[in-house]
Amino acid sequence: MTPAWRPWLYFGPAALIAGGLAVALTATSDHEQHPGQTIALVLFVSSSFILAGLIGWTRRPWNRTGTLMVAVGFGVLIGVLGEANHPIPFTLGALFGSLFIAAFVHLLLAYPSGRLLSRRARILVGAGYTIAFLAPLAESMFAAREKCKPHACPDNLVLVSHDHAAHVVATTVWTAASVVLFAAVVMLLLGRWRETTPGLRRILRSVYLFGGLSIVLLAIGFVVTPFSGVGAIFVSVALIATFTTVPFIFLAGLLGTAIARGAGVGAIFSSVPERASPGEVQEGLRNALRDETAVVAYWYEEDEHYVDVEGNRLDLPEDTRRRVVTRLDYGDQPVAAIVHDAALLQEPELLEGVANAARIALERDKLLVEVRARAQRYRALLQAMPDLMFRISRDGRYISYNAPNERDLVNGEVVGRLLWDRLPTDLADRVLASGRAALGGDPSVIEYYLDFEDGSRRHYEGRFAASGDDEFLMIVREITERKQQQEELEASRQRIVAAGDAARRKLERNLHDGAQQRLVSLSLSLRLAQNQVAKSPVRAEELLEASREELMQALEELRELARGIHPAVLTDRGLEAALEALAGRAALPVEIDCIPDVELPPPVEAAAYYVVSEALANITKYAGASAVKVTIGQVDGYALVEVVDDGVGGADPGRGSGLSGLSDRVASLNGKLVIDSPPGAGTRIRAEIPLE
Amino acid sequence: MTVLIVDDHPSFRASARTLLESEGYQVVGEAENGADAVKAAQELHPDLVLLDVQLPDIDGFKVAEQLRRLVDPPAVVLTSSRDRADYGPCINVCGACGFVPKADLSGAAIAALLVA
Repeated sequence: MTPAWRPWLYFGPAALIAGGLAVALTATSDHEQHPGQTIALVLFVSSSFILAGLIGWTRRPWNRTGTLMVAVGFGVLIGVLGEANHPIPFTLGALFGSLFIAAFVHLLLAYPSGRLLSRRARILVGAGYTIAFLAPLAESMFAAREKCKPHACPDNLVLVSHDHAAHVVATTVWTAASVVLFAAVVMLLLGRWRETTPGLRRILRSVYLFGGLSIVLLAIGFVVTPFSGVGAIFVSVALIATFTTVPFIFLAGLLGTAIARGAGVGAIFSSVPERASPGEVQEGLRNALRDETAVVAYWYEEDEHYVDVEGNRLDLPEDTRRRVVTRLDYGDQPVAAIVHDAALLQEPELLEGVANAARIALERDKLLVEVRARAQRYRALLQAMPDLMFRISRDGRYISYNAPNERDLVNGEVVGRLLWDRLPTDLADRVLASGRAALGGDPSVIEYYLDFEDGSRRHYEGRFAASGDDEFLMIVREITERKQQQEELEASRQRIVAAGDAARRKLERNLHDGAQQRLVSLSLSLRLAQNQVAKSPVRAEELLEASREELMQALEELRELARGIHPAVLTDRGLEAALEALAGRAALPVEIDCIPDVELPPPVEAAAYYVVSEALANITKYAGASAVKVTIGQVDGYALVEVVDDGVGGADPGRGSGLSGLSDRVASLNGKLVIDSPPGAGTRIRAEIPLE
Repeated sequence: MTVLIVDDHPSFRASARTLLESEGYQVVGEAENGADAVKAAQELHPDLVLLDVQLPDIDGFKVAEQLRRLVDPPAVVLTSSRDRADYGPCINVCGACGFVPKADLSGAAIAALLVA
């Protein structure tokens, strides 16, 4: 026999023996007017409690409700000792005959767990047992005369006196105490009823109704009995009716789950569609558990937290007296959890049955919900992206889009349209080709431009990625600015290269036309002189003199050319000296204002030198200026070069290659050249070049 | 032997005239560009044209080809302040007798080319 059945082993035979004794005592009692009725009533009430209690005890070994019901049943049987004709059992029956009422109060307050969970309940139950013992004791000590019929009662062994006044006092005090106790019990039950959760209320409803009614009737009975025989009978009948119903209601409440279990599990599968959504499964669970507030949480492995049926993160609450969490794990691996009314813990079989049945569906749904959670995360990610995003089907139809900036949409109508409806044909073809390549596992990037209705042309970069078997994502980012910068850079590079070529051509030409020609002439003059030395020494001397002059001019031209290639003074003596040299060769007065001992990186120095050199050349050629001021400074990590003249102004950077060449040279050092040249008001050329 | 000197640099023309004349050549004319050179050759019928390669209008090779097509084509000797190697095969295919670097110019050098 399993431990669960052990109560039957002890209390079954005990109940049979006690019942037999009760029948014997009542049947042989000389002071019992209605032995038949009494036997029937006692046996019915006690066996109901004991039987129901033992069933409950067996089915819920951890729940003390069954034990308490058995105690109430035996308590009722103890009262039958009062039927005995012998003074000792008679007295014991009188003293302990009311204990079952205290046990009943205990049972009621401890329901449904069978344990007294609050201090108030424990105090009330303690008071109940005290009163149930002391009240009959006091009444027996000061018992009224002639209580028993048809024969006199057996001797009352604890009798002190038959004093009427003492009897009234004792009875009144203990009746009042009992009524106060019953009232307190009813108040406690009502308070609990108000506070309790809907789930628990369902379990408590009938037990509190009939149990509470019994208590009320007992209280009324206690008050009425001493004064009105008819009232007492009336109350007794009602009390018997309710009191005998109670054990079955307790049992039904305790075992409600056993009846509900099959129905609950079945309900999940019958009321929930075969291919139910997670939401429908949750609804099915709520119905099966009869808990409208139950929430299903799915374990989301990727992020290691639970999510609800919608895929939103759900942190499981701590267990409280009202709500608890039942976790459904597979081995060590969490699958899902149900957050539900704490009352369901009283129906463990229902909970377990439903949970087991649901586990399969939940495990299946877990995948779905995980996908949903992931989809939600990706959606959030996509929405947070600053880029334009299109979902496009394999056949080129827009499925959805996300446009942080509507101005990037060449056409506001997107979803449902074909690529060719919105884009130029060749671009639409390229997009589809790239999208299909991405679907084939070959993600690609394209660059393109669009002409908008406002006349602007904007450049874009489109990236492609597969987003399903038959759809791809096109993520678009505007690159107009980058494109323009690229184009400017390209143009600047080409100009620098062209300027370099032009400078070399010019240099070669200058060499050829200048120094080289002079040297050739020198060579010829020397040959002539050589021929004339013997014939005409005077002529030879003239020729040699001419040769020397030719050589001096050739040297001067070479020096000038070398300066044009790179000013040696800049390398040897620094920027200030080089500028002074420039000023010295200039055709008009040049004032130089240079920070003393300014140390600039060589490329910056060279750029500054050429800015001044080119500016001075331009001023000499075009400006008609009377004076020039050159300023070299250094501010906030920038070298500043400024050349100001008082000429005619109107300088156009696009005119000659000189200024644009300077602009390129400065730009190559990440600097900028600003030319301010209003007609008639001189020209200011200002270069700002970063030192880092 | 009559010579036409074609060069855009007056200083060279002057030096070349002095040098060649001192060696017995008769300089009959000077031209400073290609077009003038062809015109002068037609008018003056020189025996020899000393022709600079780099001219302001058309280069010396083209001038040499045009001179070769004249009724009584003169002998053409190309000259330049650059080196012969700078011009590769152009000198041989243009119909000129040869090339003399300007710095090496002399009557003897020209005579050597004409004999060859």
